[in-house]
Amino acid sequence: MLEIRGLMVFYENALAINNINLNCQGEKVTGVFGANSAGKSTLMYTISGIILDVKKKEEMKGGERITVLGSIAFDGMDITHMKPSERARRGIILCPERRRIFPESSTLENLKIGAYLATSIQAKKTLDYVFTIFPPLKNLKNREGGFLSGGEQQMLAIGRALMAQPKLLLLDEPLLGLSPLMEVMLARSIRDINAQTGISILITEQYARPILPIVHYGYILENGGAVLQGTSQELMENPDVKSAYFGL
Amino acid sequence: MDKNRVTPERRKERLDRGIKVRTEGIYAIASWEEISYLVLPRLLLIVGLLLLPLLMPSLYWKRVISIVSIYALLALGFDFLAHFVGLVSLGGAFFVGTGGYIAAILNKAFGLSPTFTIPMATLAGAAICTLLLLPALPLRGVYFAIVTLMYPLVLARIIEALNILGGTDGILGVAGFPSRWIEQYLILLIIILALFGLRRLVNEDIGLVFRGVKDNDQAVRASGLSITFYKAIAVFIASGLGSLGGAYLSHIYMWSGISQFALDFSIIPIAATVIGGGGTLVGPLLGCFILVPVSELLRAFGTLRIVFYSLILMLFIMFRSEGIMVYAQRKYHQFERWVKV
Repeated sequence: MLEIRGLMVFYENALAINNINLNCQGEKVTGVFGANSAGKSTLMYTISGIILDVKKKEEMKGGERITVLGSIAFDGMDITHMKPSERARRGIILCPERRRIFPESSTLENLKIGAYLATSIQAKKTLDYVFTIFPPLKNLKNREGGFLSGGEQQMLAIGRALMAQPKLLLLDEPLLGLSPLMEVMLARSIRDINAQTGISILITEQYARPILPIVHYGYILENGGAVLQGTSQELMENPDVKSAYFGL
Repeated sequence: MDKNRVTPERRKERLDRGIKVRTEGIYAIASWEEISYLVLPRLLLIVGLLLLPLLMPSLYWKRVISIVSIYALLALGFDFLAHFVGLVSLGGAFFVGTGGYIAAILNKAFGLSPTFTIPMATLAGAAICTLLLLPALPLRGVYFAIVTLMYPLVLARIIEALNILGGTDGILGVAGFPSRWIEQYLILLIIILALFGLRRLVNEDIGLVFRGVKDNDQAVRASGLSITFYKAIAVFIASGLGSLGGAYLSHIYMWSGISQFALDFSIIPIAATVIGGGGTLVGPLLGCFILVPVSELLRAFGTLRIVFYSLILMLFIMFRSEGIMVYAQRKYHQFERWVKV
C-alpha cells in the first residue's frame, strides 16, 4: 500500500533518515521503533508531507535547508512531491506527536473538524464508531480539548484522525507520556481499530513493549537507518530487541 | 529554483568557510587574511557611513542622511526588542515624541545648549517611557504592541486638546546645531556606537537572559530571575535610542511638535527590519539606508509614491522575507557545493 524506496532526509548537513526502504501492507499494522533521534518523527513528517511545509518555511526565513531524496508511493502512485493536504485527501492521515488537538474547541468540535473531508453520512457513522471504541469521550463531548487529561487527549487525537476517513493512519508516538495502564488500553484500541475497520496503520513508538505484540510487521530504526525488520514474532524473539526494548 | 536541479543522487551541501572557523578563536590574528576577513565588513560599513555626507550632492540629501540616521536608531531599538527580548514594540513614535519634547522644553525653558539637552533628553525620555510602559511589560506579542501604539496617539491628542506645550503649533525656535557637518557626523557616530554597543550587549551575560526571556519566559522565571526587571532594562535601552533620535530631530528642525508622534516613526523601522533582516542588528540599519532614500526618490511619482513603496515592501516580504543581511551573512560565512549522496 505504502512503498518507501531509498528515502533520505537531510536537515542542512545532518542526516536524519538514511536510505530507508519501508513497506506498509494493506489492512495491516506496521510498527517503527527506535530511540530518540532515530528519525521516527521525521519519517512521519515525510510520509504525511508536512516536511514540505517546514521546508518552505525554513527557506523563507533563511534557516536550515531540508533535502528529501528517494521516493514514496501510495497505492502505486508517486506522492513524493505532493502537498500534505492532497495526501490527506487521498487517505494518508497523520495523528501528530504530542497530539496537537485544538485546545479551545470542545471534544465534539475537534472530532467534527477532523471530518472536514468526509461526507455527512460517513462523519455520523465514524462519530458513533469513535464513541464505541473510546467510551470516555462520550461523556466529555462538550468539554474544551485543553482541559482533557493526557490519555483523553490522545483518544481524541486518534478519533479526530479517524474522522478524516483514513486509508493509512499514521500514529506518531501515541503512547507519549501515558500511564502503563493507559498504554495497554490504547494499544488494544489500536488493534481493534485495525481489526474492525481494516484501516492500515503505521505506528512509531519508543516503548515497544505494549505495541510490538499488536503489529504485524515491524522495523527498528537507529540513527536514521533501518537496522532490523521482521514480523512481530521475529522481532520479539530477536535477542538484541529483547535487551534493548524489553530489558531481558 | 534549485528544487529542479536536485537529481536523485546529488544535493547541495552548505559548509562554513575554513576561514570563518579559524577566525573564531585566537587564530584570528594568525595572518592578514584572517584579520581582514574579520575587519573588512565592519570597516566597510563604518567608512561607508562616514563617507556618506561627503558624497551627497545637495543640501536636501544631506538633510535626508540625518533623518535616515534617526530612523536607523529606531530600527536598532525595534530589532533589539523584537528579536532579542521578544517584545514587539510599535512605540517608535512614542520614544521620538517624548525625547523631542523634552529636548525642546529643556532648550527653551532653561536655555541649555544641545550639548546638554540631547543626553538629558535621552535619559529622561528613556526613564519616562519605561515608567509609562511598566504596567504593560507582563504583556507580550500583539498586546504589548497595541499599548505602545496607543501612547503616542494619546499624548498627541492630550497636547492638542489641552493646548499645552505649544499646542498644535509646537515649540518653535529651538536651538539648531552650530554646523551641518557636526549635525551629520555626530549622528553617524552615534548610530555606529549604538550598533556595535548593542551587538556587544546581546552577546554578554545579560544578552543571554534577554534571549531567554524571548524564547521561554517561564523558564527564566523558574531560574529565579525577574523577567519584568530585564524587560524594563531592555525597554529602557530601546526607548533611550528612540528618545535620542527624537531630541536630535527637535534640534535639526529647530522645532518640536505633535507630528513627532506620527506613526511613521513606528512603522518605517519595522519595514526596514523586514528588508534588512531581523535579528542581525546591522540589517535594520542598512534597511533604513535603503528604504528612506527610496521613499524620497519616489517623490517624483507624486501621490503614487505610497503605491510603489508598498509594492516594493510587499514583494520583498513575500519573496525574500529572510532579509538582505541574513542572506549576505550566509554567503559570506558559508559556501555551497554539490555532493553525491
